[in-house]
Amino acid sequence: MDKAEMLKDVAPVPRATVVWITACILALLPLVISIPLATEILIWGIFGLGFNLLLGYAGVLSFGHAAYFGVGAYGAGLALLYWNTGLWSSLAIAIAAAVLLACLIGALAIRRRGVYFAMISLAFGQMLYFLALSPLKDITRGEDGLTHIPAVRLFSISLARPKSLYYFIFAITVTMLYLTWRILQSPFGKLLHAYRENEERAKACGYNTTLVKFFSLVLSAFYGGLAGALYTFYLGYVPVSTLFWLVSGTIVMMTMLGGKGTLLGPLTGAAVYLFLQNTISIFTPRWELFVGTIFVIIILAFPGGIMGTLRTKYVNYRMARLQQSGGAAAAGAGG
Amino acid sequence: MLTDVSWNLILMQLFFGLALGSVYVLLASGLSIIYGLLDVVNFAHGTFAMLGAYAVFVAVSLSGSFIVGIISAVVIVALLGTAVEILLLKPLYDKDPLLPLLLTFGLSVAIPDLIKVIFGLIGKPVAYPEALSGATTVGPMIFSNYRLFIIILTLVVLISLWLFLKKSDLGMVIRAATRDRLMVQVLGANTSRLWTVGFAIGIGLAALAGAIAVPTMSATADMGVEMTMVAFVVTVVGGLGSLGGAIVGGLLIGVIIAFTSLIAGQYANVTMYFCMAAILLVRPRGLFGESGRE
Repeated sequence: MDKAEMLKDVAPVPRATVVWITACILALLPLVISIPLATEILIWGIFGLGFNLLLGYAGVLSFGHAAYFGVGAYGAGLALLYWNTGLWSSLAIAIAAAVLLACLIGALAIRRRGVYFAMISLAFGQMLYFLALSPLKDITRGEDGLTHIPAVRLFSISLARPKSLYYFIFAITVTMLYLTWRILQSPFGKLLHAYRENEERAKACGYNTTLVKFFSLVLSAFYGGLAGALYTFYLGYVPVSTLFWLVSGTIVMMTMLGGKGTLLGPLTGAAVYLFLQNTISIFTPRWELFVGTIFVIIILAFPGGIMGTLRTKYVNYRMARLQQSGGAAAAGAGG
Repeated sequence: MLTDVSWNLILMQLFFGLALGSVYVLLASGLSIIYGLLDVVNFAHGTFAMLGAYAVFVAVSLSGSFIVGIISAVVIVALLGTAVEILLLKPLYDKDPLLPLLLTFGLSVAIPDLIKVIFGLIGKPVAYPEALSGATTVGPMIFSNYRLFIIILTLVVLISLWLFLKKSDLGMVIRAATRDRLMVQVLGANTSRLWTVGFAIGIGLAALAGAIAVPTMSATADMGVEMTMVAFVVTVVGGLGSLGGAIVGGLLIGVIIAFTSLIAGQYANVTMYFCMAAILLVRPRGLFGESGRE
């Protein structure tokens, strides 16, 4: 029995139960940590779920994801401020704007491989930041950001209360987590996997790999726009820093920290990152020094991140067990 | 019709743009050398330029001489780069190609904060060296001596770099390794040491760019990000891994920024990105990019 076939038996494939267990933990999160921190974890978690589809599954590193997050935040903010749209239409506008932007950037740059795309996406992200900062000042209000955004209402419940907002975002997070799980089980998900493992081979099998990359970029922009809009609801205003490169960097760090290419990696990463940031910034305003250093250590020692390392440990354990109990018995059980 | 006055203005702005572009050329050629040899996009490139700027500040306040300041800044930061390459990057070469990039990104987050801890939040100015503080006037036009110095120094550095790469044995091996690293390995060159040398040269160029830019802008901990960004845009415009591309791209971007700030100041930060988008549309691999290397 060769190793690959054995791996199929031991490598954990996330089941739907994982989604529901995570949902239970997230539902109880406000009992353990403060509601604002919990809300931010969910928002960044949604953002990370989409980012992970691109980085962890399609293997494309975007360093300009602040663009989608920021455009989502501004989209929702502008819609609420100028047209006084409701909850759902401002969400729709935010997502549509982010997806449209991804189509544009994707059409320009997605053909470029690896490092090139990372550089180009970062540059486009910064372009939007500077556009919002000065030339489009009349619309975006420049450095001040959009302020006095009216609170949104879900039917008759005002989401201005932190707790109601948390559980609204919680519902969306669980939906998106379930959706992500479904996407990964779908033929498209398998294609993503095939692409990451061996692009040439996927191409030779007749799949249009450029299209795969393009779709995962657009898909992750959908998540980014959604997260940006939720961030606007949460803050009640839109700071121009939502477009800054640091947002792109943060989502990269969170995803790597939690483990790219794992279903729960982004949520775990967001939780650990924000918890660290909150704790460290009590003691010093220079938390970036610590977070950056921790990130460097993660890259050097645990490139799989938290969930990736746990998964490898689990797989190794299962392999050892299988080898102990004898190859023949394993082959029989594996069938 | 353009009057004499506006021609003078255009010439002066062109000069300004070339001086700005010279700094960008140094930045981008360092990035290009590192990428060409190591296949690593150095996200901390601007961070090392920032370190160069602070090193000049320290060295000038200790020694009082600007030339000593520049030389020691380049040497110190290049040594630092060597240490980073040996200790942090080497373990990652055989793994996922995105890991070295992510590692340098981590450095670009951590190092500016370290600088803030050491030097405080307020930027550190470095005065123009006395010999270069004046200006040369040609008719009604005024050219700052220091900016002239930047252009000439860049020219000298580029020519020496070119001579080093074309004429010296080590330069030849570096060029060969850029083309085909496996072949060079097979022929018995110590490629591991070659990467270190290449990284040190690239970082040295970044430090030089930061060091000569300080008197015009003063050193701040956050200047690195902008410099990384400029280096990226220039590299995408010129073509990744091409030294000629870095030179033409750098000067082009410098001049474009100079003229935009003359005509439409608020777009000064944005035009280089539009420029990059336009190049990507017309010529995706950049002006001088080779078709083989994407």
